[in-house]
Amino acid sequence: MIRLNNVVASYKTERGTVNAVDGVNLEIPDGCILGIAGESGCGKSTLMKVIYGDIGFPLSLASGSVDYGFTDDQGNKVTSKNIQKQWFKRISYVPQSSMSSLNPVIRIRKQFLDFESSSKTKAQTLQEVKSYVKKLGLPEESIESFPHQLSGGMRQRIMIAMATFFQPEIILADEPTTALDVVVQKSILLLLMELQEQMGNTIILVSHDMGVHYQATHKMLIMYAAKAVEYADSPDLFTRPLHPYTRMLINSLPTIGDDRAREGIPGRPPSLWNKLEGCRFADRCPLATERCRTEEPAFIEHRPGHFAACHYADSQANLSEVV
Amino acid sequence: MSILQYFAKRIGLYLVVLFIGITVTFFLPRLMPTNPIDGYIGQLQSRAGQTLTQEATAELRSSLEELYGLKGDILTQYFNYLKRVFLQFDFGPSFNSYPQPVSTMIFGALPWTLGLLLTTTLLSWLLGNLIGLVAGYFHNKRSATVLEVIGILLYPIPYYILALTVILVLAYFIPIFPLAPTFPNSGFSFEQVGGILYNSALPAITLVLAGFGWNILSMKSLAYTTKEEPYVIYARLKGTSNWTRMTRYVFRNAMLPQVTALVLSLGTVFNGALLTEILFSYPGIGLLMRTAASSGDYNLLYGAITMSIIAVATAGLVIDLIYPLFDPRIRYR
Repeated sequence: MIRLNNVVASYKTERGTVNAVDGVNLEIPDGCILGIAGESGCGKSTLMKVIYGDIGFPLSLASGSVDYGFTDDQGNKVTSKNIQKQWFKRISYVPQSSMSSLNPVIRIRKQFLDFESSSKTKAQTLQEVKSYVKKLGLPEESIESFPHQLSGGMRQRIMIAMATFFQPEIILADEPTTALDVVVQKSILLLLMELQEQMGNTIILVSHDMGVHYQATHKMLIMYAAKAVEYADSPDLFTRPLHPYTRMLINSLPTIGDDRAREGIPGRPPSLWNKLEGCRFADRCPLATERCRTEEPAFIEHRPGHFAACHYADSQANLSEVV
Repeated sequence: MSILQYFAKRIGLYLVVLFIGITVTFFLPRLMPTNPIDGYIGQLQSRAGQTLTQEATAELRSSLEELYGLKGDILTQYFNYLKRVFLQFDFGPSFNSYPQPVSTMIFGALPWTLGLLLTTTLLSWLLGNLIGLVAGYFHNKRSATVLEVIGILLYPIPYYILALTVILVLAYFIPIFPLAPTFPNSGFSFEQVGGILYNSALPAITLVLAGFGWNILSMKSLAYTTKEEPYVIYARLKGTSNWTRMTRYVFRNAMLPQVTALVLSLGTVFNGALLTEILFSYPGIGLLMRTAASSGDYNLLYGAITMSIIAVATAGLVIDLIYPLFDPRIRYR
């Protein structure tokens, strides 16, 4: 189980510091696919960086901690302070753009192994890489080629192969399908899900495509303006959302047979530079009351395993009337 | 496109460039209103007074025209010229060191210039890029900034000031190297290697220092931007070591434009040699060119200019031929 304890992550800028993730508490059970959704600037990528342990100037972990629920070779508890030693062995990362994430002048074979430090011989590892790549539906020779010789989908498969080769417990995927066309997108998603089922590891998937989340995830976290606003099992979240923001996000998804025009959510998220009071979604929320503008809602469990940060999560008005 | 087609295309282009360059050097001087033979005969007449007869002058003119390839109309001259240059590399005899052929003089001076300039250009490229790489890769470390300052200090100094400073310091105040270098007249032999190296040290040091700064500065900024490329960031997130990232990721990519710059600067070695060879009285092509220009030795000048055209064109060809080695995106299209 990965435990995020009141994580506050802030960026130092010339204007001062700004909290891109502001007090997120989360327990992610092992062996699930967690989706994180939210609009640009809501802090999902920053949260990923914190979970990955890629914390360096200008980002800093202002308070809180991440506990990964496993220990290193010396038996020490692994936290965000020492996770870096486990990179690509127990925690790995699938980047957004496979196009630019591979070194253009080096063969893929070399990029596969240049972080490798196990005692096995190079030739043996290479053989394993080859058979692994083949298992993922790529020709064995593809690791002998240069990145520009492969198609976008093949490159993304290579990225996934790299990230899963050492069978890490945790895989972070930051918009792994955004740069691909829908057909390839689907095959990449299916590949990720299949691998997850085989290895039983935890995948944290960031995307702003609710369709992708609906298809792939077991659990969902919705973020809004640096806060976690809703966290639940995916089926529950998609059918019975508790937060008006989640409800509006889901309503923006097209469904077959329903040809009404889709409406976006009016307004913009608040600037994190401002002093924020009350619920951060209040300005755009059709249900907002005076209480919402002054009192910040707590992120609490409203149903078993279903967390939300809304004063009216349980009220009838929220559950039926909104949009 | 196959690699053979690629090579054939480049070599074809190379020959075209050479042809155009040589054609321009042929026609350009002929557009000038002065005629070197008139000038030469005029000199002779003023020296000899009235003793030269009309017939002797006419005979002299015709034999001089023959000698310098000025016989016949301009097209005949042009084809003869092309034939001589392309097939025999023959530029006729030198005016000043008559009857020594120009090509002999050029081939005598060539190894000196090439030896000095190629070595120093390569050396300053290598050193400058290594320093620049470290300075750019560790741009937030203070010790690396010191390295960059070397480049900033050296780069803007005009070459002649740098050269004179080096002469003053290393040959006059601390007399390690000879003030007036002496070089053997005959070609290379193994006993002379030590002496040649010792005497070439001063020009070599100034050339390295002069080329150095630019390489540091450009490599520094290249390494700095390459470091922020997604593939380098991804390599860091994979847990690759600093060393691997600096060499295999940053350097391998940042060096590509630097290779182009290196080969281009190799193409201009003869022009670069001019000042060095004059300042250090070094017996290379540059010195030859200067003597030719100041004494009106046309044949020698053509020869030297043709040499530098060949050098620049060859450098361009070399870039095209070696670039695929460094950039697979060109090798496998």
